[in-house]
Amino acid sequence: MSIENVSRRKFIKQSGLAVGGLWLGIALPNVVMAKLGLASEAAFNPNAYIHIATNGDTLIYCGRCEMGQGISTALPAAVADELEADWTRVSVKQGDGNEALYGPQATGGSASIRVMYIPMREAGAVAKAMLIAAAAKKWQVSAQDCYADSHFVINRNDNSKLSYGELASLAADMPVPENIKLKEKADFKYIGKDLARHNQGDIVNGKLTYGVDTKMPGLKYAAVVHCPVFEGKLKSLDKTAALAMDGVEAVVEIPRMEVPFGSIGGVGVVADNTWTAQQAIKKLVIEWDLGPNKTYDSKAYKLQLVKNVESPAQKAAERGDIEQAFANAKHKVSATYTGGHLSHSPMEPNASVVWVQDNSCEVWAATQSPADIQKVLAQYLDRDPKDILVHVTMAGGAFGRKFKCDYVQEAAALSKAVNAPVQLTWSREEDTRTGYYHSINAQHIEAAIDEDGNVSGWLHRAAFMPIASLFDDQVERAPAANLGDIFNHPFGIENIRTETGEAKRHTRIGWYRAVYAIFYGFAFGTFADEIANKVGKDTLTLLNNIYDNNNDPKQETQVRRSKGALALAAEKSKWFSRDKLPKNQGIGIAVHYSFESYVAMAVLVEVNGDDIKVLEVDCAVDCGQVLNVDSATAQMEGAVVMATALSLRTEIVFREGAVVNSNFHNYPVLRIDEMPTVRAHFIDNGDKPTGLGEPGLGPFPAALSNAVFAASGKRYRDLPFKPSTI
Amino acid sequence: MAQTVTINGKSYEINVDGAMPLLWFLRDKLELTGTKFGCGMAVCGACTVHLDGQATRSCVIPVSAVAGKKITTIEGLAENDDHPLQKAWLNNKVPQCGYCQAGQIMNAASFLAKNSSPTPEEIDTAMQGNICRCGTYQRIKIAISEAALELGKEV
Repeated sequence: MSIENVSRRKFIKQSGLAVGGLWLGIALPNVVMAKLGLASEAAFNPNAYIHIATNGDTLIYCGRCEMGQGISTALPAAVADELEADWTRVSVKQGDGNEALYGPQATGGSASIRVMYIPMREAGAVAKAMLIAAAAKKWQVSAQDCYADSHFVINRNDNSKLSYGELASLAADMPVPENIKLKEKADFKYIGKDLARHNQGDIVNGKLTYGVDTKMPGLKYAAVVHCPVFEGKLKSLDKTAALAMDGVEAVVEIPRMEVPFGSIGGVGVVADNTWTAQQAIKKLVIEWDLGPNKTYDSKAYKLQLVKNVESPAQKAAERGDIEQAFANAKHKVSATYTGGHLSHSPMEPNASVVWVQDNSCEVWAATQSPADIQKVLAQYLDRDPKDILVHVTMAGGAFGRKFKCDYVQEAAALSKAVNAPVQLTWSREEDTRTGYYHSINAQHIEAAIDEDGNVSGWLHRAAFMPIASLFDDQVERAPAANLGDIFNHPFGIENIRTETGEAKRHTRIGWYRAVYAIFYGFAFGTFADEIANKVGKDTLTLLNNIYDNNNDPKQETQVRRSKGALALAAEKSKWFSRDKLPKNQGIGIAVHYSFESYVAMAVLVEVNGDDIKVLEVDCAVDCGQVLNVDSATAQMEGAVVMATALSLRTEIVFREGAVVNSNFHNYPVLRIDEMPTVRAHFIDNGDKPTGLGEPGLGPFPAALSNAVFAASGKRYRDLPFKPSTI
Repeated sequence: MAQTVTINGKSYEINVDGAMPLLWFLRDKLELTGTKFGCGMAVCGACTVHLDGQATRSCVIPVSAVAGKKITTIEGLAENDDHPLQKAWLNNKVPQCGYCQAGQIMNAASFLAKNSSPTPEEIDTAMQGNICRCGTYQRIKIAISEAALELGKEV
């Protein structure tokens, strides 16, 4: 961690930032940066900035991208807490895409809090120390005679006060202190409290600007249609009718850019408004050469994946003696679990404005990774990434989709063609049909149970199109590392073998909120319930047995915290009174460890015939110190909503190479009438904080499957439970 | 003579192809971007505005069909952004990404104007056409009930 006083640095002026007062830059230690694969040559790359103006207004820049997860409130609140700032004087600004200024900005993997919590607090503490030093100097007293409170430094001797604004410029001349003491948990003012999102006022009055909302003089509007099949290309195009429309300016072929985050290839229309562009798209007469994936059929493929995991596959990892365990087993349990493709479908479709000029390229985009925009556009335009200026807007949801900047590259292609700023907004249909999908998947597990009812052996085969296939078309199965979450699962089964089955790519695969934790959580949590049933124990007892049998000292923490979450979910729900539930109701429980957080869920359902209604969900969460309880609770509510839809019915279906779904009528995400009561319970252990954007999705599908089984005796092993009929 | 439409109390000439949906007239011509594009086929509710007080999906209604009528968008719902629903939304910290919330609030406002003491089931039915992908439904329900109480006091 390093913190630098940059108040007098040139780039502050050059960046057009406010001059004067105290500016601090906060940088992660190079060792952390290296771990993230983001080490840079420059000596000082701040990840965040604090500015205290001479009137006391305090601005905290957040380099991480905001998409509704609340990071642009949580991190600045951590700064403000250590700074002893008055939160009403603090405003938050989204940093532009600029790794030289902010360091790593790629926002995913539930990593922002995990990585940035301590550096942000330290920055606040440093700023506070410098303000105190400035006041001490002014009063000619020692720093120990002063303390900070709510935007003032106070002199203990006579209770005189100086405001942060009065001190800001003087503080800029103070040395940056080296040994900083952070506050004790008991003294937190904002951390762990329920601060409202800094931008919610602008949300409820419609003033907040998203990626689709950028306006500027001379702006032109665009729509796009893509080749419906991955790796296909344009064969012929008749644009006469489209060009004849009033307001249509250009029809532009956009060839596939063969980099992972480049355009899949299509045709764009530029017009004087979005609607006209969308209408003109419909008038294009296009013939596609559908290419090598034109026979891809996801239902047939899923069946093939099942075959691939129900027979020996390529070994990924092994420990102990699994053959011996199965030879000595009293019972054997086996099951196969599957899951379909998913589309992120954030409410804001992909959209950005790009203006390519001879000497500049400026981007306004909802994105999770401004650096990738810089990289891809630099490659596309043959320029230096530093010359691509990316303004990061609020994202109207993202869920992993907006990590990939194909839509920005397409806007760049259109801007270049018409020599003007272009706003490209994808239609919902294009968003649904030509995205980066969650992997279709199959897993087969066999467990050996010894005579004492303990799980003694575990064979786990998985086959899914891995993310790696997006980057390398030669990848034919998930790399062994992708099965690490199976091998290193806190169950810690003594004798285990993991195998990876063939799964050649036929579409673009991309990170989807929680990624592999969706299907790993489903398989582990459901299979545990099936074992419990087989050996005649209840699931909570069985899970505790498995964890208690894990003697690996390296997993002691994971075992303890997994059990802790499970116990809390059971206690807060109707788990212990489940015998008294009505006959058609059932409760299921599961726990999953992912992204360094632990979430257990107890799901209460009512089953009437084929109809499954989720009634209540109790989420027990151990993510260490919670930064914002309200916002963390919102993440659990959101995870349950998304997971309910993907468990029950949402699935992207491919036929003849193309996605059949098109919009929300046939990709039916959850609606309000199906909203269960969600309660979130936090284990307040003060451990280092970890993220919550994704971990809620891991345990839910299993807990739901287990609940339905308890209520009806019917076992669902396929996600979604009710396959799409389109 | 060109037709006009009144939007948030101001009169605008309809100077575009009458078939253009109101949504794009608002967003691309008037630059009132609070009303959002979500699906383009009236199945998600992000584009909800009031047409003579009635919640309407602006992505499918042609601008010619609103000539001579009164449109209210989220920007014009309350002069000081203090509609009981807006206050209840803030109080319950409803938004996550916030993209769908203008549509949710506009739909709820039109609903509460007709039913000032709704049951939870009535809220479900009324709000079923508005999708929130972040999953804020639980809070939306609470906020609507809270705003209904507040509105009841005002009467």
